[in-house]
Amino acid sequence: MELFITTLVTGVMVGSIYALVALGWCLIYKCSGVLNLAMGELTLIGAYVCLSFYNWGVPFILALIFTMIIGIILGFLTERIFLRKLIGEPILTVIMVTVGLSFFFRGIVEFIWGTDTRVFSPPVFPLKPIVVGPVVIGQVYLWSFVAAIILLVAFVSFFKYTRWGLSMQACADDEMAALSLGVSAKFVYAMAWAIAFMAAGVGGTLLGNINGLNISVGYLGLLVLPAVVLGGLNSVPGAIVGGIIIGVLQNLSGAYLDQYFPGGVKEIAPFAFMVIILLFLPYGLWGWERIERV
Amino acid sequence: MSWLPCGVYHENYKQDHRWWQTKFVWGKMIFLFLFVYVLFPRFAGLYWIGVANIIGYTVLSALGVQLLIGYCGQITLGHAAFIAVGAYVCALSILMFHLPYVVSMIIAAFIAGLWSVLFGLPSAKVKGFYLIMTTMAAQFITVDFILTQYVSRIGGRGVAFSLPPGTIKIGPWVIDNDVEIYYLMVILVTLCTLALANLLRSRVGRAWIAIRDNDIAAEALGVNIVKYKLLAFFVAGVFGGVAGAFWVCNLAALSPEHFMWSWSLWLVGVILIGGVGSIHGVFFGSMFMVLVLEALKFAIAPLAPTFPQLQMKFLFLKEAAFGLAICLFLLYEPNGMAYRWWQIKNYFNLWPFSY
Amino acid sequence: MKRILLAIGVIAVAFLFAGTLWGAEVIKVGAINDMTGGTCDVGKDYALGIAEAIAYVNDMGGVNGKKIKLLQFDYGYRIPEAVTIYKRLRDYDKVIAVLGWGTGDTEALSPTITKDKMPYVSASYSAHLTDPKKTPYNFFFSADYSTNARGCITAWYEEIWLKDPKFKARRERGEKPRFVCFYSWPTPYSSAPIKAIKDQAKLLGFEIGPDQDVSLTALDTKSQVLAAKKFKPDLVWHGNTTMSVATALKDSYALGLGAWHIINNWGFDKNLVKLAGPAAENAIGAVPCAFFGEEGPRLMPKIVEYAKKLNPGIPEENRLIRTVQAWGAVLLLWEGMKRADKAGKLTGEGIREAIETLRDFDLGIGAPPITFTPTDHRPTSIAQAYIIKGGKFKFLKRIDFKKRWPDRWPKWLGW
Repeated sequence: MELFITTLVTGVMVGSIYALVALGWCLIYKCSGVLNLAMGELTLIGAYVCLSFYNWGVPFILALIFTMIIGIILGFLTERIFLRKLIGEPILTVIMVTVGLSFFFRGIVEFIWGTDTRVFSPPVFPLKPIVVGPVVIGQVYLWSFVAAIILLVAFVSFFKYTRWGLSMQACADDEMAALSLGVSAKFVYAMAWAIAFMAAGVGGTLLGNINGLNISVGYLGLLVLPAVVLGGLNSVPGAIVGGIIIGVLQNLSGAYLDQYFPGGVKEIAPFAFMVIILLFLPYGLWGWERIERV
Repeated sequence: MSWLPCGVYHENYKQDHRWWQTKFVWGKMIFLFLFVYVLFPRFAGLYWIGVANIIGYTVLSALGVQLLIGYCGQITLGHAAFIAVGAYVCALSILMFHLPYVVSMIIAAFIAGLWSVLFGLPSAKVKGFYLIMTTMAAQFITVDFILTQYVSRIGGRGVAFSLPPGTIKIGPWVIDNDVEIYYLMVILVTLCTLALANLLRSRVGRAWIAIRDNDIAAEALGVNIVKYKLLAFFVAGVFGGVAGAFWVCNLAALSPEHFMWSWSLWLVGVILIGGVGSIHGVFFGSMFMVLVLEALKFAIAPLAPTFPQLQMKFLFLKEAAFGLAICLFLLYEPNGMAYRWWQIKNYFNLWPFSY
Repeated sequence: MKRILLAIGVIAVAFLFAGTLWGAEVIKVGAINDMTGGTCDVGKDYALGIAEAIAYVNDMGGVNGKKIKLLQFDYGYRIPEAVTIYKRLRDYDKVIAVLGWGTGDTEALSPTITKDKMPYVSASYSAHLTDPKKTPYNFFFSADYSTNARGCITAWYEEIWLKDPKFKARRERGEKPRFVCFYSWPTPYSSAPIKAIKDQAKLLGFEIGPDQDVSLTALDTKSQVLAAKKFKPDLVWHGNTTMSVATALKDSYALGLGAWHIINNWGFDKNLVKLAGPAAENAIGAVPCAFFGEEGPRLMPKIVEYAKKLNPGIPEENRLIRTVQAWGAVLLLWEGMKRADKAGKLTGEGIREAIETLRDFDLGIGAPPITFTPTDHRPTSIAQAYIIKGGKFKFLKRIDFKKRWPDRWPKWLGW
């Protein structure tokens, strides 16, 4: 029982980080229709940038803010250089450009920072765990959860209450109408990518704090794809819920199913689960059904 | 569409459907045949034959992807899984059941096709991005899970799927050096290309193209899209199985790392750079990718003593360069190299007139 | 303009070929290293060590006057790349011996190198490479993984379980210590010594719990530690390299596993202390030779000197024992090549026969003396264990398995 509760709680906390990254992905899709397969590498870049700042002696909160600023700049640049030309191209071309971007970013990250595992030293969060009844929770998870929730609330209120957020919502809802009302599509796309970079960067940093940072954090970033598919591609609350479900699922399957299979269940359980869900709910939990006309 | 020169008239449909419609094309094809089968293996060095083998392997792998993406419109990011299934089934048949290589290849192709159909079943219900996700899941489940955890451990340690030279024989001929692998490769590539091209000329191919263009309209016209989609997955799987079985003779040892997700992405990149929807595209894309990597290696080799870091980080540069190459190609040349080839060919067809 | 370009082109091509025209009497040796893959944390240092050791060998006259040319490649711990590089070394560069790295690719390539008669000195000390009937051309200089693993568990049993007062009450009750293995199941390197260590555990009277799968690049092992906690182990074996062992140690500390840790030699070095911090306290590990910069071994001053000379950019405190291990491999190959050349047979088979004449040979790097015979390629039967106290390595115990279990030692060959 203790095992179940511990893994459940840890899963929810890790899932909140996934939810953050999934939010960024969903934003890009809603605003510009781009299916971004480079999400893992965006998390990597943010995490390594924060690590570099932290190793230069900048306090953690400040390093996080710098990472977000650099994320915004990189988001604008990426959108301008690579994706501006692809408006209107078939879906496969756009996906492949994001795949090319993912290889490019991964190569650059490995080139600059190498493939060793790096740690945030001195550790940002204390190592001693918090014991709540029978449940042992590492402090890293707790603080990551808090940070992720704060950022999620910040983003959602950004969308609801600021002009920029409202224009993004308008563009996501119906691009033509938004354009005719004076919303600048280029600006909205750039903002979407910038926010995605920011969210992914913070997510990567929090993931990297758990035990150390190396290239495999990028594969964790890939897990947002099952998360958004589960939640439905077009739905932001769906992405958040999907992220949390994936986090819980991963941890539970790692703890319970590893003994029945010769290992490795943790990595593929989200994908297997996603395939099963897709067979019954082809558009995920909250996705919009596409109606095609011939 | 390409223009026929003056004086060439077709008198019945059979002539019109022919592959090579003029004597000039026959001449070109005979020259190509001579070059590939006779001249190249005699005069090229061992290193270039090795490179040609890799190009051939890429072509065989990419044929299946081109079929699925370019001709049937089903986007797949998990093809490496089916190649892996082909390779492992072939290796297991040779090592455990001691079947001859040709029989193993046929069995491997068939089982890879069936496995591909299994993961193609969702295509009956899902489209577009969701299909991409299911094929990705196929890739991870097959290679990262089933192969890595279960199949690699068959026979325990020490068997480790080692294929020392001399294990692979066709009849009395042992295949253990690059030149023999080259001949096997050209034969396989010719057979597979012919098979695919003929399938595309037939009713099945027309059904696939209809599904690619608009599957709901195709269904309204009476094409059974579930059957043809699954058939596409099956044939693509068969090609993948042949590619995997071929690759087995190039290796001294087989392991799941050959067939990672990055290889699937690489293949889709090959298709896109070469040109979606044309068989020429497969060849151009494969040649481009492999030769660009070789060029990178040669460019870095002389710089190595002065910049030793470059040699160490060469693998990263390769990845970054590959990513950048895909992005740039797709941004500036979205129709691929086959389109340029077609343009150049037509220019010469009409020369010296401009239209 | 075109002529200038043509001239430049010709000169460039000439430069490219110039390199191959130089170098008359040169012996080519290939090296396949992991500088960027799953084991790069230990592989990078090893690769630098190989280059430095070859430079030392050449300065000492090479192989009876013939210089060694080293062709070093990175394969990223991916077996396909290793296979490609090996084929290139064999067919295109025509090397006479290969300095390899990982267990997976070494074991997978071993039937091929046996057919090619290519001496292969690996950084893999897997015991599956020690039976000359199966793998006659595989060599390494250190005690093999299984012997080291047996050494660690025996050292813990005798120094901690039997001597530590905390266990006194349980010993008197006749309880058995409980043992769990943390390693990467699909990786051949991690799973190499498991059968042997479990055999030793049974021999000493342990209770063995379920294995936990920890990947080589694991960043989160909480679920594995929690699953192991159910079994309440006293001792945990770690079969991976430093990166993943550090993660496991930190998670065990954070979740309060309450067990002692024994670690294989590739997971036990200064980096472990850096990465795991206080969680590495009291960790016991296998150590094949002297640490970098340790006083005592004959060649240590040379090792430090060449490290400073060839790689001045890397500070001395960042160099690890892996450099010394690399020197061990190169010195072993050098001795074999020298003896083969003196006997007039500088070929693959000649080198193999030469290495099999080594008896109690001291490499000078603080490792036990090595012996190879035509029927047993286990270099030594001595395993050493060290313990981390206060962030520093302290000697714990040295066990000679041939002397302790003389009737079982021959039966342990090859696994």
